[in-house]
Amino acid sequence: MKYDVCIVGSGAGAGPVIYELANAGFKVLVLEKGPWLKTEHFSKDDMTATRRNIYAPALKDEFHVLETKDSEGNWNAVPTHESKRDFWNGSVVGGSSNFMSAYFHRLKPKDFRLQSEYGDIENANITDWPISYDELEPYYAKVESVVGVSGVVVPHKNLEPRSTPDYPFPPLVVNKIADWFVEAGAKKNYNIIPAARGIISVPKGDRRACYLSNYCGSFGCSSDGKGSARAALINDALKTGNVEIRPDSKVFHLETNEKNEIIKAHYYDLVGRKNSVEATLFVVAAQAIETARLLLLSKNPSCPNGLANNSGNVGKNLIFSAVATGSGLIEFNDFSAEKIAEINNPMTFVNRTLLDFYEIDEPESGKKIKGGTIDFLIEHSNPMPKAVRAKKDGERLVYGSEFKKNLLNYFTQKKRIRYEAFTDWIPNNDCFVTLSEEHKDKWGDPVAKVRLGYHDANKIPGEFLSDISKGVFEELGAKNISGGISTGPTVNLQAGGCRFGNDPKNSVLDKNCKSHEVSNLYITDGSFMPTGGSVPFTFTIYANAFRVADKIVERLKKA
Amino acid sequence: MSDSEKKKSLTPKSDRKAPTDMDAFFQWQTNRRSLLKAAIIAGTLSQFSFLQSCDDAIEIEKGNDLLDSNQMTILKSALNILFPDDGNGPSIELLNTLNYILWVLKDSGANPTHQTYLIEGIDWADEIAIEKSGKKYSELDQAERERAIHYYTETEYGKEWCSIMMTLILESLLLDPIYGANINEAGWKWLDHTPGFPQPDESNRYENVLTTARNAYPKSSV
Repeated sequence: MKYDVCIVGSGAGAGPVIYELANAGFKVLVLEKGPWLKTEHFSKDDMTATRRNIYAPALKDEFHVLETKDSEGNWNAVPTHESKRDFWNGSVVGGSSNFMSAYFHRLKPKDFRLQSEYGDIENANITDWPISYDELEPYYAKVESVVGVSGVVVPHKNLEPRSTPDYPFPPLVVNKIADWFVEAGAKKNYNIIPAARGIISVPKGDRRACYLSNYCGSFGCSSDGKGSARAALINDALKTGNVEIRPDSKVFHLETNEKNEIIKAHYYDLVGRKNSVEATLFVVAAQAIETARLLLLSKNPSCPNGLANNSGNVGKNLIFSAVATGSGLIEFNDFSAEKIAEINNPMTFVNRTLLDFYEIDEPESGKKIKGGTIDFLIEHSNPMPKAVRAKKDGERLVYGSEFKKNLLNYFTQKKRIRYEAFTDWIPNNDCFVTLSEEHKDKWGDPVAKVRLGYHDANKIPGEFLSDISKGVFEELGAKNISGGISTGPTVNLQAGGCRFGNDPKNSVLDKNCKSHEVSNLYITDGSFMPTGGSVPFTFTIYANAFRVADKIVERLKKA
Repeated sequence: MSDSEKKKSLTPKSDRKAPTDMDAFFQWQTNRRSLLKAAIIAGTLSQFSFLQSCDDAIEIEKGNDLLDSNQMTILKSALNILFPDDGNGPSIELLNTLNYILWVLKDSGANPTHQTYLIEGIDWADEIAIEKSGKKYSELDQAERERAIHYYTETEYGKEWCSIMMTLILESLLLDPIYGANINEAGWKWLDHTPGFPQPDESNRYENVLTTARNAYPKSSV
């Protein structure tokens, strides 16, 4: 059978395409590397989700080679099965969207023209997007209604233009500490506002509303309240009868004909047998690193450097989210019993954010530079990460009665609050994907080698936002406040590597995310992003995938 | 040949003495790791019945075929010093920590480095005790054992060994009771922790959930 469209991957970049094509009546085959877990297979089990992490491949079977720079400026490449630095997210149907925290912030109009607005940065590859915010806005609105976004729109100085007055789903219930953040911010003249979440607060179709299990990030959702690609899009698409999902199917080669069109996707099944499928169009959405790797693995006579890579751009300008994180402790003894009664419950949703500093003044020059987003949170509920932290006091291992006393005190007499600040990861020549020349996965194919170069200019907004966050924590009365920038990549926030753009010389995809070189190849995960904005990527990946799906439907209808 | 002699015969002579410096230590560790790791990966450790001691003085935990009686004595003692029964919270006994750790040592999904480190650390601790006091760990009185554990935590290797045990103690305290510890949710109750819902059942515990999911695939996907 020849399918209309074969889609590689099933996460946030694939879900909207699967949904739209199926509803338009086209036959879709989805090849997903991981298993297909349904809603009933997810439980709030720390062992499954975090201790054994079975939603990702075993590192002995599949791994990355990560290149980081040492203090003397040398690049050192270490496979993750040695370093234990796991670089996978979720390899299951629905991808890592099953396990996201789902903070859904839109990009701002200036994010689409970063170079024009803020100018070049030395040793960086900043560029404008080939589309504007206005072109993507209808699709943000579509995600809000189809995937489901809850929240409330309030005015603030960086509020992006909207075609709808508010989010379609009312805000989720939050811990009362959310008000503490707002009050603390107000004392410092910061406008801390509700944050939207890609989680539904009332039922939608077969999906039940969020039931506030408090085990959210890193855990699969048991009500389908979280807007994963699986729960929000693929399940509905399956009802059309136009979609076939093949889980445990690892695509390793895209074969082209003499016209440089893809004719077959070759994949391994669960037991390692090689199979292939034919389709008219192919969509790759395997998350940025694996998407670049698949293209580089797919060398054909017409593209000896890898599929769609005659320009040499595949894998270049990989980006993450540049983050600053920190925490503080609400010590119950520092507050009245009445105040503590307000917040001392299992509820961990806070859903408060600060967007006042999305653009800031560069401290030395005074010129405007990109700032970012600060989300305020309470530490996740699952107990193991909280407890493991308690066994160290600096370099000293704490044990015995002292440890037990500390542990009891930590769980019952305090609450850890956190901030996560997101800023642009500045694209640069030292952040890219290639194929390892020495390391292969369990099937014998070269693994991705990822150089993780960090641009020092990332530090300026990161440190600024970290200081702002700490100031809020102090005002709120927190103790033991700590935090700062991280120069490491966000494993769960990957983008770039196959930029879209108008010039085939310096981009892989055109403005509709179709390959410049391969006429029946589209890429719809975060790979297209030349810059990532100062927010988590998932909302934008969803919106863009809906946009590209419209283009594909249009093309197939014409054909 | 006694059981303990049989076990020692598996270990090269050069490995039997605790190393005196870190370089020598890492070499020693590497040699021993190779042996143990190979056995664990091959799944053959459980067949080495001679690893069990017949010493009636010490009860071997039911089903244990990984550690001899001397190793069990050291492990139990260390766990009870790291997480003592001091009237504050549940004890190692109540949590069933020891049996949980014995399960982890055989669990193919557990961190193999931690598995081998834990077992090798027991022997290392014994050899350090002999080197420092002239007595096997099991011959130390309680105060001496506590001093020994404190000493271990001040060495690089010993701290990591104790840290791994602490993590496993915490797992026995805080993971779902379906994994054989945290009996009657004693750990959660002590810390006033509210677990997430739904909790795992047998079909969804971590070793089974992927098989459960695959058995539920529609025929068109297989």
